[in-house]
Amino acid sequence: MNNRLKVLRAERSWSQADLAERLEVSRQSVNAIETGRYDPSLPLAFRIADVFDMAIEEIFLRD
Amino acid sequence: MATVQYSRPGLWIGLFLASAGVIAALKLTEAINPTTAFLWFAISMLLLVPMIRSMKAAGPTGSSNSAAAIRYTKRIGISSALYVLGLGIAITLDRNRGLSTALAFAIAMLPVLPIFGMIWSMGRYLVEERDEYLRHRAAMASLAGLGLLLGVASFWGFLETFGIVPHAEGWWAVPIWAVGMGLSQGWMSYRDRARDGA
Repeated sequence: MNNRLKVLRAERSWSQADLAERLEVSRQSVNAIETGRYDPSLPLAFRIADVFDMAIEEIFLRD
Repeated sequence: MATVQYSRPGLWIGLFLASAGVIAALKLTEAINPTTAFLWFAISMLLLVPMIRSMKAAGPTGSSNSAAAIRYTKRIGISSALYVLGLGIAITLDRNRGLSTALAFAIAMLPVLPIFGMIWSMGRYLVEERDEYLRHRAAMASLAGLGLLLGVASFWGFLETFGIVPHAEGWWAVPIWAVGMGLSQGWMSYRDRARDGA
């Protein structure tokens, strides 16, 4: 599943560690999701959406 | 990015796996006797102490060393040390004395109970780990260890049937599973670092 995490993060000048801290996950998790190696669960996807104050479908895109 | 945070534990894990591999190779080629192999392996277990300390020093933030992972490593370290100790005592007693069936059963429990401890530790980690990606990695590593064990056991079994290799004791199952799990975790850590900041 594609996502816009890297772009959204860059727009806010957040590092992966910054986002990881906000999501209360490891930086590896952010990296794995960002690079498309891991698709987050629905609860984590909602947390990501909340952090960016956006809808899930505005962050995660269909292949 | 902060790759240094988990490089030191990786060093100790690598040293431990390398020493275990060398000892196993020396034992399998009969370059050293079982008692010497046991002693060297018991000594190599000491490498787990600095590994746990370096994981604690790295801390849970921004690295793969979550609080659950540190607890898991500590539990596995203790279980592994007790396993090696129990295995050594059980084998030594079995070789040097004629044991009754009841006593042999009791002594067999010495290494088996720590194995239960390892399995329990793995289960607790999967329950306690709050980071779903790290939990996913642990589950995948466990499956990789299981895959290695099934592959090696099946291959070795056929070789043994055809009289090519000697009989292997069933208790090799746990070390093979653990090696597969460790290699898998190492590979995933390497992959994560290779794509770090991509």
